[in-house]
Amino acid sequence: MTNDGVVWAVIAGMAAVNFLLRFVPMAAVSRTRIPEPVARWLSFVPVTVMASLVAVEVMRPDGVWQTTIANPYLLAALPTAATFAKTRSFLGATLVGMAAFLAFKALLG
Amino acid sequence: MLPPTSDGRSTDRAVFVRLLRGVRLGTPILLGYVPVGLAFGVLARKAGFSAAQAVICSATALAGAGQFIALSSLAAGGDALAALAATTIVNLRYVLFSAALAPSIDASQSPLRPLLAFTLTDETFAVNTADARGGTLDALSAAGVGAVAWLGWVSGTAVGATAAGSIADPSRFGSNFAMPAMFTALLVGQIESRRHAEAAVAAAGIALAAAAVLPGTWGIIVGAVVGAAYAAWRSA
Repeated sequence: MTNDGVVWAVIAGMAAVNFLLRFVPMAAVSRTRIPEPVARWLSFVPVTVMASLVAVEVMRPDGVWQTTIANPYLLAALPTAATFAKTRSFLGATLVGMAAFLAFKALLG
Repeated sequence: MLPPTSDGRSTDRAVFVRLLRGVRLGTPILLGYVPVGLAFGVLARKAGFSAAQAVICSATALAGAGQFIALSSLAAGGDALAALAATTIVNLRYVLFSAALAPSIDASQSPLRPLLAFTLTDETFAVNTADARGGTLDALSAAGVGAVAWLGWVSGTAVGATAAGSIADPSRFGSNFAMPAMFTALLVGQIESRRHAEAAVAAAGIALAAAAVLPGTWGIIVGAVVGAAYAAWRSA
């Protein structure tokens, strides 16, 4: 469980960070432009963030490495990805993923 | 743009019509945000947030994946700084969105800028840029889009955070995989080209290697930052 003070600090910090990320460029862009290399780097950040997240969440769930193929997190990610690729539904993909996770966990004991 | 008028009543009416137009444009966003907000509410309770804290977080951050990774960081034993670093990296894309939207907001409408910035998300950006292609983006209508999106995200969180307590053992329903599943779907949604796929593979490898030596979620941050730099260098 997370300490109450930490939760409030995270809430306040997230409000500030997310507002500044969205407001400062809008307010400043009439005077300056984002340099092209930086813009190119930024354009890849969303996909690399998600890839890093998925890799670590799936290979080291709850901080424990699971490096064999008998890993329900890794196996459940496959139908999740396939469902989203086909339907473009976040809710559908999440529900399929949770069901697949339960099934693989039961199968693998 | 509003025609100059001395009749206050018709000005109010025009304002209302433009806001309403935004509300209509934003309604599909609301429908999409409610279930994801609900998932955030449930997972936030699991991570040690109170119901009120979960709702306040959604209401003040409106940060989608940025909120989920903060939870993930806290659940992995990270401190507040690690959670904030993670949310910053995940939401760096807003810098691009914000800069891209700026020129289409008329200077006379700049008092609405802080509000438009606050409600800038992947989905409101998509709706507003589509709207801007037809001419000057109407800031009032964009404010309507943002307000509806906010309402969907916050109300979904409220329902999830309140209902979370009445679900005895959420892991029975596979809730351990809810967050990885959502990230997996988001990842698939981000892969728009071969270059993106290569960037994803590089980032995943770097993140795993970094996670083996760094504490908490720092491996994810290194994977994202270095992976994107590698992809940018490759496509230069």
